[in-house]
Amino acid sequence: MTDRSILLVEDNRDDEELTLRALTKSNILNPVVVARDGVEALDYLLYRGAHATRPRELPQVVLLDLKLPKVDGLEVLRVLRAEPATKVLPIVILTSSVEEQDVIRGYGLGANSYIRKPVDFDQFVEAVRQLGLYWLVLNQPVPF
Amino acid sequence: MTDRLRMALAEVSAAASAFLESTSDYDQLLQTIARSGARALLGTCSVYLFDDARKNLTPVAAHDNDPEVMTKFGELLMRARSAERPIMAALIANHVLFMPTLDPEAMRLDLAEDGYELFTKLGVIGLIGVLLRVRGQLVGVLVVLRHRADVPPLDEIDREIAIHLATFAGLAIGNARLFRDAQSVEIVRRSEARAVQATMFLDAIIENIPDMVFVKDADRLSYVRLNRAAENLLGRPRDALIGKNDFDFLPRAEAELHVAKDREALRGKKLVDIPEEPVETTRGERWLHTKKVPIVDATGEPRYLLGISQDITNSKLTMATLRAAKESAENANRELESFSYSVAHDLRTPLRSIDGFSQALIEDFGDKLGEVGLNYCVRVRNSAQRMAALIDDLLKLSRVTRSDLRRRPVDLGEMFRAAFAPLQRETTRHVEIVVSGDLKANADAKLLAIAFDNLCGNAWKFTSKLEAARIELGTRVDNGERVYFIRDNGVGFDMAYREKLFGVFQRLHPESEFPGTGVGLATVNRIIQRHGGRVWAEGEVGKGATFYFTLGDTGEVP
Repeated sequence: MTDRSILLVEDNRDDEELTLRALTKSNILNPVVVARDGVEALDYLLYRGAHATRPRELPQVVLLDLKLPKVDGLEVLRVLRAEPATKVLPIVILTSSVEEQDVIRGYGLGANSYIRKPVDFDQFVEAVRQLGLYWLVLNQPVPF
Repeated sequence: MTDRLRMALAEVSAAASAFLESTSDYDQLLQTIARSGARALLGTCSVYLFDDARKNLTPVAAHDNDPEVMTKFGELLMRARSAERPIMAALIANHVLFMPTLDPEAMRLDLAEDGYELFTKLGVIGLIGVLLRVRGQLVGVLVVLRHRADVPPLDEIDREIAIHLATFAGLAIGNARLFRDAQSVEIVRRSEARAVQATMFLDAIIENIPDMVFVKDADRLSYVRLNRAAENLLGRPRDALIGKNDFDFLPRAEAELHVAKDREALRGKKLVDIPEEPVETTRGERWLHTKKVPIVDATGEPRYLLGISQDITNSKLTMATLRAAKESAENANRELESFSYSVAHDLRTPLRSIDGFSQALIEDFGDKLGEVGLNYCVRVRNSAQRMAALIDDLLKLSRVTRSDLRRRPVDLGEMFRAAFAPLQRETTRHVEIVVSGDLKANADAKLLAIAFDNLCGNAWKFTSKLEAARIELGTRVDNGERVYFIRDNGVGFDMAYREKLFGVFQRLHPESEFPGTGVGLATVNRIIQRHGGRVWAEGEVGKGATFYFTLGDTGEVP
């Protein structure tokens, strides 16, 4: 397993903790960077603001919530897909919403996957495990 | 008295009475005079009358007992325009012209070429001419040409007969003319009355047209005509409007608007349609749908402007109300959508925390919780998951309400079997799935599939304790209405509770026995209602249940 990072875009501290726990339980040991709103996510990925000077390295996958403070997930997705550097970055929408409109818009804006967070923690762990296995192990990453 | 005199008297009195009978028809009278003259004096008799200017004599009637002679005479007369002029002159000078024997050759110079031709071709041998007078006034002449040699020559008695005939003829012509004039006066009077009647009829039509009708003159655009609806609409009597233009009683901006449209119609010489225009009335502002039409004269120049205005204020208000209602319904729908979104996202998030951290407690602190503590944690998780299931089902229900209904032909049998496919994959149970009858319908495939998932899921669930489960989809016609049904041989239900079946969160079985949220049949009900259909159920405890539904008027595939 490579040690390229995972960017988790999540404003809810409980969900953050549970996601980290699920990753650990699934033996996914990549470093996890957390962005707590849309602006922070964009700053991190596009080396802006507080992240202007960080080393030029993109995460292997972005786990993106839709309902976020300041700039919502779909807007983050739209901006990233418009930027040449992040145009093909793997982005998985990980959210509570299964509103048809959100799913359609998410794919329309170029999301790679759309996964609904199950309430049942066992199912959640299973979802995160499969997600990690696929995006961090099976899937051939974009060369940077 | 000699026979000759008696006969003459008889001829004259016969003629007189014939004249009397013809008084009412002027043209026929003239013919009668000519015929009587020809008969009494045995020759070709013609009547000449002066024209209105009393300058020219014009032949107006002629007769001869011999039709062949008559034809020849007519032709000759046509050619002989100036033939009798000298004779007429002599006649008028002498009152009576009596020429019992006549030689055209001798008169050749007097007759001129055409007169000579007439007299010779006809073989004229004698002539009597008398003046016709009406109340002493000279109006014409009566001339008899004798051309027959087989009768005695003209004599004094013939002369007297001619004079008497002329006297009676003059009287009759006078009377006939009076009668004719009176008649034409009557005709004029009648046609005037008709014209007045027609005008009144048109006036009544214009007056009773329920829309405002107005006419303006093309130059000043001042009103020349308004109907009652116009008075009512504007709230002003027409006397206050006739002769005025829009600037005299409307706000300036409004008057300019109207006048601009008037000019447009007059200039373009065609109809101008104004779907909406405001007009200031004594009852406040009203809205009109107006059509303006130019009325052109014979040369094509617009003389008047005709306008017809319909008061659309009320329908405009209704439209506005409808628009507002539609807007508020759309707002409500948007609110519902954002509410559903919050439910989906915001309510589930804390549930995930409750479940996740309970599991974390079990995993990380299980040894400290003890058996009872662990059991409590499991219960907390179960409740959180159950609440998540409730939220999901409620969301499905609300989605069913919000989505558009799009009917297309669907195969219910196929849909029925498809609903069981995932259930059959997860079990070793043997369930007999039966489809009977023609099950094509015109329905929203997506919504109906949700209804089938619920109904089939229920049937599957409530037959789960049976060895030989059977679930059937069928159809029948009740009172001309197509009814579909899904029947199972499962645990059934007590008909006393059938009203409760379709309510939200209504359940007839304990969760421990048959799991469920109690939203499924409410969702089915909503879907069937969206189709304009009805759903109902029949059942008996231990003997199964049957769910019936219809799909509304357009449900059947033609």
